Amino acid sequence: MAAISTRELTKVYATGVKALDALDLDVADGEFVVLVGPSGCGKTTALRMVAGLERITSGTISFGDRVVNDVSPRHRDVAMVFQNYALYPHLSVYQNIGFALENQKVAKAERDRRIRAAAGVLGLGDLLGRKPKQLSGGQRQRVAMGRAIVREPSVFLMDEPLSNLDAKLRVQMRSEVLRVHRSIGAATLYVTHDQTEAMTMGDRVAVLQAGVLQQYDTPRALYDRPANVFVATFIGSPAMNLYEAGLSADGASGSRPAAVLGSQRLDLPAPVAAHVAAYQGRKVIVGIRPEDLVVSSGPGMVTEARIVEVLGSEQHVYFWLDATPATQAAAATDEPAEAGFLVGSAPNGMARIDPHTPVKPGARVTFTVDPERLYFFDPDTGLAITG
Amino acid sequence: MTELKGRDADPAASQSAAALPGPTSAEGARRQGRASEGGMGRWVGARRRAARKQERLEEQDSAIPVELYGLRRGTVTLLTTLAFLFAIFTLVPIAWIVINSTKTQANIFETFGFWFASPFSFFHNFSLLFQNVDGYGTYIQWFGNTALYAVIGGVGATALSAFAGYGFSRFSFRSSKVLFYLTLAALLVPITALTLPLYLTYAKAHLINSIWGMILPSMISPVGIYLMKVYTDISVPRELIDAARIDGGGEARIFFRVALPLMVPGLMTVLLISVVAVWNNYFLPLLIFNVNTKYPLTVGLGLWSERAQNSGNAQLFPMVVIGGLVTIIPLIVLFLLLQRYWRGGLLLGSIAN
Repeated sequence: MAAISTRELTKVYATGVKALDALDLDVADGEFVVLVGPSGCGKTTALRMVAGLERITSGTISFGDRVVNDVSPRHRDVAMVFQNYALYPHLSVYQNIGFALENQKVAKAERDRRIRAAAGVLGLGDLLGRKPKQLSGGQRQRVAMGRAIVREPSVFLMDEPLSNLDAKLRVQMRSEVLRVHRSIGAATLYVTHDQTEAMTMGDRVAVLQAGVLQQYDTPRALYDRPANVFVATFIGSPAMNLYEAGLSADGASGSRPAAVLGSQRLDLPAPVAAHVAAYQGRKVIVGIRPEDLVVSSGPGMVTEARIVEVLGSEQHVYFWLDATPATQAAAATDEPAEAGFLVGSAPNGMARIDPHTPVKPGARVTFTVDPERLYFFDPDTGLAITG
Repeated sequence: MTELKGRDADPAASQSAAALPGPTSAEGARRQGRASEGGMGRWVGARRRAARKQERLEEQDSAIPVELYGLRRGTVTLLTTLAFLFAIFTLVPIAWIVINSTKTQANIFETFGFWFASPFSFFHNFSLLFQNVDGYGTYIQWFGNTALYAVIGGVGATALSAFAGYGFSRFSFRSSKVLFYLTLAALLVPITALTLPLYLTYAKAHLINSIWGMILPSMISPVGIYLMKVYTDISVPRELIDAARIDGGGEARIFFRVALPLMVPGLMTVLLISVVAVWNNYFLPLLIFNVNTKYPLTVGLGLWSERAQNSGNAQLFPMVVIGGLVTIIPLIVLFLLLQRYWRGGLLLGSIAN
């Protein structure tokens, strides 16, 4: 039985805005589930409803087999880490961590033992006497975690707990959070807008957009088999390239089946062609991940490199390809439109390649891509084409 | 005065700098002082003094020349002069009352009002405050009455304002907005307009000549409720209340343990306003008391003053003067005592960004 499950969970604000639309989500015992999506997608609303801080418009939330819709937050036995920590500023670290235990009237000796244990897990042992204002950002974040884990809760909620840390500390705290999660083993629901955090931390990841659950699966599956254009572009960084394409029919004018992107033609081997057979002769959206593009000296997709960014371990080539990008779906991601201000035709694609391959801006570059690694989507519904 | 203090001189601003990496040296020194707050009391004192001195020096360093504010020196001089004149205007009555509290009855009328005259009769005048000179009552008793009304009324008003303000600020309930606007509307009604209904109500409720007739209305402070609501809005973050609810705190416990400590500066403001309001209230006690043993200072001094002028009991004049002086002293003391609570930065470290 799932530790947390929501059924048809819906939130409509008084203004008529639908923040969350019929969310079905199950979190198993000990599972770490990440809710990810762009700003305003309803993920924090969902979390706050699970916590009991937000009224439910319709649907149910259950912990185990107990429906908690009408249970107040203090009786739900959930612990939560807030985005901005929300530490009690006038209480010491010790008192901050112990506040919940005081509320539960846990005996003093037991309380002391648990506070010290939680502080030990988080490396806060020497800071127990300090006030929040005497702590660094990372330490405050740990106190917020300590306040949650000391309760040994059955449900653990985190609302973008790392977003106020600097980049380096954030990476460090990612593994810290996971370590703590493993040591307490509570079902955890973790909200973030950062797909990297989602991919690296989640046992399973739920991708939300505009209040609607897009896909709920393991990180691997989200990357390999995105359910729709939104998930395809949201998961994976840099984002997937999408182009409008036509699928030429098998045997017509004696040619092999191919995807035709503008003036480019990508031949499709039989298994791939069979996969998209239903769309033959029709338009589709073809997705190509930047990391699947390989510079080739032979035949392939001919592009013109516009911007080259050398990052050391890899190289980003923003190129122009004579094909129509399918941008309407990509616009929903957090990434700003790239380099659209440049004079002339802006780059409409991006490749992540080996840093030692010499590529100059303005030069002609030919890429090949393994047809097995192409993604196909229905241009009307945006859904992945499943053969 | 040709230099204005920069923003950096603001204590709240310099405290918030502590939240950033690389604290100022004054903050560093202060923090060291704090860190050693163990058993080394004397050290702490010395370090605190050093830290304060350092702070003063930094304040001087951060003073910004008026030109940088886009002000002309002539303008600043003019404004400073005007402010200075206004300060004198405000202080003149206080100077007069201090000087004349040392004079005999005759000297009050016959000597220059803004200088001392012999004999020095301050202590004699003061001793009169403990006597029932003309059979109309003792100052010290009225003082006790005023203190009683002000303490119970002021503390009560502060407590009720805190409850109501927090409620308006942090709970949304049916017609909460309407109720709040009604509270604000109460600010606009002058108490004089309520004289007759108030008196009639009191007569029915047997509150005439009762100290509760004085105290109960003093505990209702629309200004206090308004101030506490606004103050709670800005000083008690919603997330903190959410966190406390998740931590299993009951609403009362959240209020007392989490919210109230953050509301202290606001509470002190309301306490001061309410105590001063009760202390200076003349109209209400005049209306409800006709027994002079229950009078507060305002009504008692008014009675003396009136009798001194009308019934020729001229020895009451020095008593009115020194009585007036003694009346304002507790308010000044209260103000000085509460001043240390008006500081910012209570939320430092609680909420990121």
